[in-house]
Amino acid sequence: MSALLGTISVLVALGAAIALTIQGWRAAARSDGPATIRLRTPVLVLLVAAVASLLVLEAALLGDDFSLEYVANHHAAATPLLYTVASAWGALEGSIVLWGVVLAGATWLVSRGYSRAPDRLGAGALAVMGLVATFFFALMATVADPFKVCVEAGPASCLAASPLPWAAAVAPPDGAGPNPLLQNHPLMAVHPPMLYLGYVGLTVPFAFAMSALALGQGGVEWLRRSRTSTLVAWSFLTVGITLGGLWAYEVLSWGGYWAWDPVENASLLPWLMATAFLHSAVVQERRGMLQAWNFVLVIAAFSLTILGTFLTRSGVVASVHSFTQSAIGPVLLGFLVVVLSASLGLFAARAHLVASAPRLESLASREGAFLLNNLLLSVFALVVLVGTLYPLLVEAFSGAEVGVGAPFFNRLTVPLAFGLLLTMGVGPVTPWRLARGAVVWARIRTPLRVGLAAGAVLVLTGTRNGWVVGAVMLSTFVVAVIVRHLWVTSRARAAKLGVSRRKAALDVVAGDSGYWGGQLSHIGVALAAVGLAAAANLATHAEVDLVPGDTASFAGYELTYLTPFLLNEPNRTVTGATIVVERDSEIVSELQPRINEYPGTGAGIVTPAVHSSLRGDVYLTLTRIDAGGITLEMDTTPAVWLIWLGGLVAASGGAFSTVVRRLAQRPASTEPARV
Amino acid sequence: MSERLRRWVAGLVTATMAAVVAIGLITAPSSEASRAEAIGSRIKCPVCQGEAIADSPAELAGSMMALVEERVAQGWSDQQIIDAFVASYGEWILLDPPLAPATALLWLIPAAGVAIGLLAAMRRRRVAPPVEDEAADAARAPEPRQAPS
Repeated sequence: MSALLGTISVLVALGAAIALTIQGWRAAARSDGPATIRLRTPVLVLLVAAVASLLVLEAALLGDDFSLEYVANHHAAATPLLYTVASAWGALEGSIVLWGVVLAGATWLVSRGYSRAPDRLGAGALAVMGLVATFFFALMATVADPFKVCVEAGPASCLAASPLPWAAAVAPPDGAGPNPLLQNHPLMAVHPPMLYLGYVGLTVPFAFAMSALALGQGGVEWLRRSRTSTLVAWSFLTVGITLGGLWAYEVLSWGGYWAWDPVENASLLPWLMATAFLHSAVVQERRGMLQAWNFVLVIAAFSLTILGTFLTRSGVVASVHSFTQSAIGPVLLGFLVVVLSASLGLFAARAHLVASAPRLESLASREGAFLLNNLLLSVFALVVLVGTLYPLLVEAFSGAEVGVGAPFFNRLTVPLAFGLLLTMGVGPVTPWRLARGAVVWARIRTPLRVGLAAGAVLVLTGTRNGWVVGAVMLSTFVVAVIVRHLWVTSRARAAKLGVSRRKAALDVVAGDSGYWGGQLSHIGVALAAVGLAAAANLATHAEVDLVPGDTASFAGYELTYLTPFLLNEPNRTVTGATIVVERDSEIVSELQPRINEYPGTGAGIVTPAVHSSLRGDVYLTLTRIDAGGITLEMDTTPAVWLIWLGGLVAASGGAFSTVVRRLAQRPASTEPARV
Repeated sequence: MSERLRRWVAGLVTATMAAVVAIGLITAPSSEASRAEAIGSRIKCPVCQGEAIADSPAELAGSMMALVEERVAQGWSDQQIIDAFVASYGEWILLDPPLAPATALLWLIPAAGVAIGLLAAMRRRRVAPPVEDEAADAARAPEPRQAPS
């Protein structure tokens, strides 16, 4: 039953996507004429059918319907509720279903801004969304079919399946359960959907860019209409990446949060491009420059999301994120090639129509700062891309193994990151067109001193790591510039209009929500930069063997090993050690690092236990537990919470701009009546 | 006079803070532990997936790390320790490959990216060079609306 309903909803969605592509294209191709072409209908059908496919999958998972191959191989009767729900995107086929739902939602959002022919730009964008949706639903209907029927059952898995929904189903008595790593932390339910909202949201600016190119319609309209989607997508991507780091930190037991793993890099690449685009879009809006470059950025951001999808789902990289199957790999690679050649070909053919008039008067200007920002972000992305793909390509062509790891990325990206911080401090207070040195200096002089003071305090209190001191000074400078700018502008406004300071400040912020939302994001990035520098340079590590009753001293803490414990949970067996953490003879925490064993999956999953505090984290990992006692790995990471906080603050800047702009637009809305 | 004094004091305070930071960082001690950690983070753990021996909980990584610590204590230089590992395992043991024919592109592509980006930014500049004339300058760039600070 689920197989039939699921397959039908996928096919209906596929049909709607194809119809949307054709109808959208027809509506975009005609410059006038009566508006007889309806686009809302296929969009609604697409949305409903996509949501239905996810609901059918969830229902099958919740109802333990092991006659579906997907459920039999990625779910077990004993899987807890949260991980059962999350299993819908925990494996390859299901992840494409979630992708399809988000894409249908994005398409629906675009269609809300579409107001009948002759809105050719909107119609063209909907056609492109339809085309991308066609691809993903075609995947679900063919190589990544989540609704295959199990026709040969093993004891706890499905051995063979048929794509035909009416095939005679054989249900195994129980399923294999999710990948152990994916049922080990509740963030599994949040991190992937956040990332997908980000990835898929980047389809919208791409769709508008392709439409504008195909129609030869330059100008800011395509930017304006994709701006909300881009900002929302960027915010979700920021949250997704941050939560991914948090998840890695709490699950992967090596005390880190970012390993320059190819798949992590694949999520960072579109983020970098989208960040560059958000900045250069401002230049196009304000000064009419950089349009061609913006097309390049949007194409790059979208292509990189497809590249990331390919890397995770083709099995070319070995990583915790990789799905194991590979039949879908060549198809995704083919799609990437098509996207790249079609979009770049279109861009080359139409570049002369959309090239903006050169208007840069001086590099010493806000425009120049934006150019520098774009250069740094693009080179950053290039380094990450080359470092990620190079070992794969060398190995594919010559068989040689080239190790490209964290030291390579750190060596090249850390200087770029410091450059970005500096630009982030100076750029937002640099005048447009032509900035005279004295003007800029007056605006950054005091913040520079504040940054220097922060550095001096840090050195005097004993932190003498150059990277940390540098990051703290630059980040303090960035924040001080923003605070000073708000202070000065609101003071001027209060004096001019005779209103209170507080009201003036609120008016200033609400009056330019794009700018101030951006500054909020900058504060988040500055916070994260301090956390990253501290975690990378000030962490300490030690290893100790303990028997019950032993106490170890570590980084100012006393750790006492009380007792081992064994828990039999429905879906796993937990072996762990209870450890009391004391500081200055006061108990601050009781930690239980553990090894979780899931039946039938081989080695146990080493799960760390973390005591978090503002001062720093105590991070304990069990590497051995037997009759002779335990081996305990101890890590402290100072200020790691700043990374999570910074990521969330950065994302909230994007949300702030979006929400305030919406609210400000509402009363003065002149949008035509909707169809 | 008081304005001059104020500036003078501000400059002195700034210079003192800068000196504190500079001296504090230059004289910062580098411990053997942090040296071993730095070397260990450049060497790949042979039995892991792209992890450094400094980070990996694997047994082999632990014993390789112990070797690094021993060599550091014996007074070997960073390069000598790295070279010894390359001699016994091969180039692939390094997580940051040195500049060599097989890895040249890895370092050259980002460098080329920087060069192209800079050239493109510079080329844009030729379009309307700013006039070095006070009056035209003022007309072109009106005073910012922000109040003077």
